[in-house]
Amino acid sequence: MGENKSDVLQGTLDLMVLKTLEAMGPLHGYGIARRIEQVSDNGLSLNQGTIYPALLRLQQRGWIRADWGTSETKRRAKFYALTRIGRKQIEQETENWERIAGTMARFLAPSN
Amino acid sequence: MELIRVLLSRCAALFRRRKLDEDLDEELRSHIDLAVEENLKRGMSKQEARTLALREFGGITQVKERFRVQRGMPFVGTVAQDVRFALRQLHKSPGFALTAIMTLALGIGANTAIFSVVNSVLLKPFGFPDPKQLVVLRETVAEMAKVAPTLPDNPKHYLNLRTQSKTLEDAAIFQPRGFSVAVGNDHPQIVNGLQVAPSFFSVLGMQPTLGRAFRPEEASKGHDSEVILTWNAWQRYFQGDPNAVGRTLHIDGGESTVVGVLPKEFSFPHVDLMPVAGQFATPPLELFKPLVLYPQEVSDNGDFNYLVIARIRPGVTVSQAQSELQGLQQAYSIAMHLQTHLGIDVIPLTQEVTGSVSAGLWLLLAGIGAVLLIACVNLANLQLARAVAREREASIRAALGAGRKRLLQLALIESLVLASIGGTLGVLFALAGVRIFISLAPAGLPRLNEVAISWPVLLFAAGLSVATALLFGILPALRSMRADPQSAMQVNSTRVANTRQGKRIRSVLVGAEIACTLLLLVVTALVVSSFARVVTQQRNFDSDHVTLAEVNLFNSSYGDSAPNFKAAQISFIDRTLDGLAEIPGVTGAAVTSQMPMAGESWIDGLTRPDHPLPESQRPMVNVRMISTNYRSTLEIPLLAGRDLELSDRSHAGNVLISAQTARTAWPGEDPIGKHFDFGDGAGTRTVVGVVADARVNDLKKTASMVYQPYWENPRWRVYFLVRSPLAASALVDSIRSVVWKVDPQVPIPTLKSFDDQVNDSVATERFQTLLLSSFGAAALLLALLGVYGVLTYSVSLRQQEFSIRIALGSGRAALTLLVLRQAAYPVLGGIVAGLGAAFVATRWMRSVLYETQPADPVAISVSIVLLLAAAIAAAIVPARRAASIDPMRALRTE
Repeated sequence: MGENKSDVLQGTLDLMVLKTLEAMGPLHGYGIARRIEQVSDNGLSLNQGTIYPALLRLQQRGWIRADWGTSETKRRAKFYALTRIGRKQIEQETENWERIAGTMARFLAPSN
Repeated sequence: MELIRVLLSRCAALFRRRKLDEDLDEELRSHIDLAVEENLKRGMSKQEARTLALREFGGITQVKERFRVQRGMPFVGTVAQDVRFALRQLHKSPGFALTAIMTLALGIGANTAIFSVVNSVLLKPFGFPDPKQLVVLRETVAEMAKVAPTLPDNPKHYLNLRTQSKTLEDAAIFQPRGFSVAVGNDHPQIVNGLQVAPSFFSVLGMQPTLGRAFRPEEASKGHDSEVILTWNAWQRYFQGDPNAVGRTLHIDGGESTVVGVLPKEFSFPHVDLMPVAGQFATPPLELFKPLVLYPQEVSDNGDFNYLVIARIRPGVTVSQAQSELQGLQQAYSIAMHLQTHLGIDVIPLTQEVTGSVSAGLWLLLAGIGAVLLIACVNLANLQLARAVAREREASIRAALGAGRKRLLQLALIESLVLASIGGTLGVLFALAGVRIFISLAPAGLPRLNEVAISWPVLLFAAGLSVATALLFGILPALRSMRADPQSAMQVNSTRVANTRQGKRIRSVLVGAEIACTLLLLVVTALVVSSFARVVTQQRNFDSDHVTLAEVNLFNSSYGDSAPNFKAAQISFIDRTLDGLAEIPGVTGAAVTSQMPMAGESWIDGLTRPDHPLPESQRPMVNVRMISTNYRSTLEIPLLAGRDLELSDRSHAGNVLISAQTARTAWPGEDPIGKHFDFGDGAGTRTVVGVVADARVNDLKKTASMVYQPYWENPRWRVYFLVRSPLAASALVDSIRSVVWKVDPQVPIPTLKSFDDQVNDSVATERFQTLLLSSFGAAALLLALLGVYGVLTYSVSLRQQEFSIRIALGSGRAALTLLVLRQAAYPVLGGIVAGLGAAFVATRWMRSVLYETQPADPVAISVSIVLLLAAAIAAAIVPARRAASIDPMRALRTE
């Protein structure tokens, strides 16, 4: 794929999905994938299919739930929504991520 | 919490696979559709829109695979797959499946059944609190060690030990006894019971559920009319009446008041005063009476006629207690200026009860284990042959990317599937097997009533199934792991497999099988020849056509408090003997004072007035009170002198002795007319005749005997011997009515043929022999099948080679030899290994063998010959088949 695209860090995808659902409300798999692509400005080398195992993982943990519904174009699709536990989990996951990012940033800061 | 949720949802997914797959398909389809729709909206052509959508999605199959891995339990999933595959494979070869499953089921079933017996008899602790702390005390007297290594206990020594010991928490003296219990107007019956010290129940750590235990004052004369019942006796005599405490029971001609009922789970094992020769059925204990120790018993001259059970303090070991009590006994011997040196034997209760049978039972378990091992080797061979035939399949799998681990898993799971089906069936067989075992087992086997299939037994069966699966599955499984993906492509033949290595493994397996079989055959042959020796020993008596009736005179007219009780006893015996002789068809009726075939008993030291010896050197003899025709009824040869005669009634003290008594007491002398006494002040005896050494106590050994007329000292237990050409079953009714015509108030606890009594006395040996012989036969059959199977298979693989040999002019005899030679190496190697194993293993068998050396040359050569014959029989068929190959046909089939 494109040379400037980054691989998605393990675990990052989960948080992206959660944040997407938090921002957009219930959404189907394709919608989530598109949203992640748009937000990342197509900067991620992400096969759209990869989000399905991630969605299943979040479902198994009970952070999101899935229901069959109808899309805006009247197509049957599975819609994912945050659960109460999921909502709480976002905070913690965000914190985690920021800590890692902060640590990383300190490493990457020009040393003087 | 989260982990549990994930696990649950994964588990749930296992059962909804199809539904979830459909769900996923639909979801992915809708994803692509949505993407196509959006692309179309952006103005792409239909074709472009679809291509882009698919490209952006990535590999659909990969996503599905990852999704599935995430969804379920990949391990469980593949295992389930392999199990299904294994079941399909087995379904495809029903012959193999059936053979394997039945072999395993029988093997596991038999092992489980025997283990359940070993578990209940030897391993399961007794149902008392801290049963490990319970011990039985037996006294030893250094001077008598040769005659009796241990003795029952003397009450005075017990009292000394109980007060002095610091390692014992408490001890209780007791005495097993039969009690005559009469209900209503029925003839009284003899039930087993114990006379116990009041501390008995607290030593065991059990208390009655109803009522109370005995009070200390109840162990004294005149206050001992209390009785404590077991649960079953309470049900039997009082129909479980909760108000039974305080009611009375008619025991030994008097009334006893019930003061307590023991809990249902109370089960005190059977303990004999002296270690007995045979194992006879012992009716369960039903009642307990207080033991009154009379002053004449509490004396150093009193009888050693009791047993002591004790509880060791927590933290004290048996050997610590042993050394403390031994010291106390030695100190006592010195302080009391005893002529003898007392000692003690502290025996854990388990060992006391099962010590005599444990070697035999372990031997049975080892024997049946060996049979299962041989069966496993056979199965391993079968599996190996199948694995070879399926080598191409394994290679293709490997070529298609199956990991080695996965191939190993597949092969092992097939074995596990077989073993679990076999194991499950085996447990069912074991349920039946245990019943068969119980019905065949000697009725006197301790704790036999507790034998059942329990949790530990089921665990054992499960463990055994897995172990067998590994045993017979690991080699073929390892082989399948070696599958080389290339070979499948290169070799265009089904005969890839007969590699040198495969052949070697199979030979080693056959060799191992032969070794195991030989070991088992040697063990069997030893046990059989030992048993044959027991039953073919010259007995010097004839039990055939003799019926044995035990009558107990436990009622007030014969009790020692009745006036003239001796006369009453003599008159009872006289009248009964007369009555028995009048039964039509009876040719002789005699009487003796001890149960025949029940081991040595009533042993006294013989003293010669003309040649006095210190107590410890006096010959010990078994004393029997007999009637004049005892010898002729049992057909014991008279060696010298004369038989007892009715005229001896007027010449007190005339006795018969056995040849062994003559040898030990009057070595090199003629004993006829010689005098002796028992040092008991009961007068001098005169030897009037010498009879042959009849093995009336024990088939295994002769004993020194003294026979004196019953009228000189009648006993409370009388054993009538009735000779008649009629069968015992035809006589029992007449015998009963004769006895009860004389006195309806005497119980008849034993009434059976003397032959049965003789057979029962060697029931343990017969049972072991029977079981081990069947194990040996099974092993031989398995070995035969094993050799046959391997050779047949190898001949079928080498058909082409043989055809070429024949075509090139090889003789048929040479071919037969070739195959036989192939069989010879593992068979001979196995025999050598088996002999080595037998040499080591049979040394542990000494305790179960009678006058048979573990290295008995006959037993060993018979085993080898049998095994060789079986091996040759097994090899000859495939060898002839090899020789009869039609070269043209065989070459064409290729």
